[in-house]
Amino acid sequence: MHAVFNFVRGPMAGIAFAVFIIGCLYQMASMWRLARKKDAVVFHYFSLFYALRSIIHWMVPFAALNMRRHPVMTGVTFVFHLCLFAVPFFLSSHAILFKESWDVSWAWLPDGIADIMTLAVMGACLFFLGRRIFLREVRYLTTVSDVLILFCVALPFFSGFWAGQQWPGFPVMTLVHMISGEILLMLIPFTRLRHMLFFPVIRGYMGSEFGAVRRARDW
Amino acid sequence: MTHRPEQPYEIISDIGVEKGAEKLTPERIREVIRRYLEEEGGARLRVYADTCVHCGLCSDACHFFLSNDREPRFSPAGKVKQALLPILRKKGDVSADFIKRATEIAFTECNLCRRCVMYCPFGIDVAYLMLFVRRLSHKLGVVPQYIQDTAHSHAATMNQMWVREDEWIDTLHWQEEEAREEIPNLRIPLEKEGAEIFYSVIGPEPKFRAQLIYQAAVIMNVAGQDWTMPATPGWDNSDMCMYTGDEEMVARLKKKHFETAMRLKTKRIVMGECGHAFRSVHDVGNRFLGWKMAPVPVTHAIEFYSELFQSRKLRVKRKYDIPVTLHDPCNVVRGGGLHELARYVIHETCSRFVEMHPNREHNYCCGAGGGVINCGPPYTHKRVVGSRVKAEQLAEAAAKGARVVIAPCHNCHGGLEDIIKHYGLDLEVKFLGDIVYASIDKEG
Amino acid sequence: MKKFKILPYAALFSVFLLAGTMAAFAQENIEIVHDAAFENQTRPPVAFAHDAHNEKAGIDDCGECHHAYADGEKQMGDDSVGMECSQCHYGKPGQGVADLIRAYHLQCAGCHGERKAGPVLCGECHRRR
Repeated sequence: MHAVFNFVRGPMAGIAFAVFIIGCLYQMASMWRLARKKDAVVFHYFSLFYALRSIIHWMVPFAALNMRRHPVMTGVTFVFHLCLFAVPFFLSSHAILFKESWDVSWAWLPDGIADIMTLAVMGACLFFLGRRIFLREVRYLTTVSDVLILFCVALPFFSGFWAGQQWPGFPVMTLVHMISGEILLMLIPFTRLRHMLFFPVIRGYMGSEFGAVRRARDW
Repeated sequence: MTHRPEQPYEIISDIGVEKGAEKLTPERIREVIRRYLEEEGGARLRVYADTCVHCGLCSDACHFFLSNDREPRFSPAGKVKQALLPILRKKGDVSADFIKRATEIAFTECNLCRRCVMYCPFGIDVAYLMLFVRRLSHKLGVVPQYIQDTAHSHAATMNQMWVREDEWIDTLHWQEEEAREEIPNLRIPLEKEGAEIFYSVIGPEPKFRAQLIYQAAVIMNVAGQDWTMPATPGWDNSDMCMYTGDEEMVARLKKKHFETAMRLKTKRIVMGECGHAFRSVHDVGNRFLGWKMAPVPVTHAIEFYSELFQSRKLRVKRKYDIPVTLHDPCNVVRGGGLHELARYVIHETCSRFVEMHPNREHNYCCGAGGGVINCGPPYTHKRVVGSRVKAEQLAEAAAKGARVVIAPCHNCHGGLEDIIKHYGLDLEVKFLGDIVYASIDKEG
Repeated sequence: MKKFKILPYAALFSVFLLAGTMAAFAQENIEIVHDAAFENQTRPPVAFAHDAHNEKAGIDDCGECHHAYADGEKQMGDDSVGMECSQCHYGKPGQGVADLIRAYHLQCAGCHGERKAGPVLCGECHRRR
């Protein structure tokens, strides 16, 4: 138990962060290089103003027409992504771990709110799973890896909630939580989760093309 | 509620696709695909293909999807899944039957209208991905016969419709003669060096719609424009090669076109009401030639008419009083932002205007664009069936009183006419130029 | 198929074992780790049986936990018994109570981790009632 804990709290956490950061940098760098070689247009037509115009329209809830057409999906997605980012950084336990390891600290969320946000993430995962099962057009597109990724996202939140509530078996769940969270972090650069990296890139490029060349809106 | 077709999809026989596929071997397919991916498969391809999270939110953008009872295989991401992803996943180990199917999807089930780009949260360019498949089909020699024929015409004659040089000149003379009955001193100036404007049209205008050249000549003369048309190849601004994936030909065509403008020392190119040609001249062809924007300024007819009204060079004698509605063509609206100018011209020339919904950037495609109508009769049925939402949208505008639908684009014309006929709508399709011609004061 | 049937029993057994240890622990004479600087407690206070802990851990020297520092050097043979931890471990501007929490965690869980004995997980110390 202690050996496992020491490993996941120490070296593995370091490895997870390293893999995540280096992996993301590698992905961005290799795409940058490939684009330089094969997609020079991306650089030539890039316009910061129109890129930001598009990105902002797609970061503000209900700012794009398709978001208004799917209000439930939009609401769930925004809550999901917000909580997905906020909870890992601003949960008190995590903030304390950062403080312990690197001696930096920031304000953290009250545990009650963090609990609700965690439940929201899990609920959203169920919602997404439901879409994948019940909506024909989504089911048609869904692959095994899509479901696995959803599971990988939900697991750290599920186990974290369990550990936080100290339900029976919580010590094991705490370790499951730590390990699954670290795995999730390492998966980001190498799975579809990298949409986190490429969202601003694609949106920015298309925004530039739509704004500067095609003089049209893209939301 | 759930509609399941008896067959997975309609079996369509196309000689260009069939004969092309017969010549393929697994080795050749693999070799061509691997070389193609190596040479041209860049960051956009990879990022688009790898970032899509299969959320399905693009579906509602696509008229094919909406019109086919939300059949999933017609959704933009569904088409990428069928036509492109297996090629990437299997690194070229796909069968000739797969290539046939992928060709049909990329050429006839997607109008490259880019509406889905506006619905995808990431802005993934499905049109780019479909064009990537089309270029592969081109490299493999599996292309629908009708559109390949127009590409051949481009290659041989530098115009889309096998119009010979003497026929072209003859057509212009003929239209000049006709128009002189209306405006006695009217000219269609050929080869006038140093003219302000090079007026360019698409191949089908001299071939089938010569009255459009007549009308343009009247508008030019009434507005007192210093204009010319070339007597040599290079007059055609259309570009079906852009849609068959023949990028080398795109570059040749646009080079010829721009060089003709430069040879005539014209200050700009004004083009007739064509959407895909505008895409080619404004956005695509210039890139293949290494120009960020067109080397000679390009003005689409919509922009040109609005200029003429704004500067009072054209005056309206009697407003067009049949209620009109406007179809926003993808290539000049999503691709050129001309929607407000089009409305301005309509406001100037028409007394009653009914707005279609959705409109502007969100308008539904006519179903004909992106070279789909050019793939010819084998696909007409599928195309009009895939345009049911367009028919519903048109019917709604008709119910609000519209009798004429203005479509400032040739392909849209063809597409809308087929839709109107198939669904029995009480609408007539007109060009913006038809309305301008009918409403202006020709005495000057 | 047989292999799979063992799992639920194993799980049940671990749960009982766990509940057993928890019950045993709860019966000890409980003291609570206290520091005046903890005004609003985020987590439940930590039960700490001082004498039993030191006996089990074999700690004789008070200064091992109640350490005393001077000029950044740990003073051997000296201790800080009677002082509250927050008297030293509270202060970096803007960091406030986080400093104190850090000191406690490194002191307790840090040692447990090193010695591979004693609780290290959040819920093992900050037990909900």
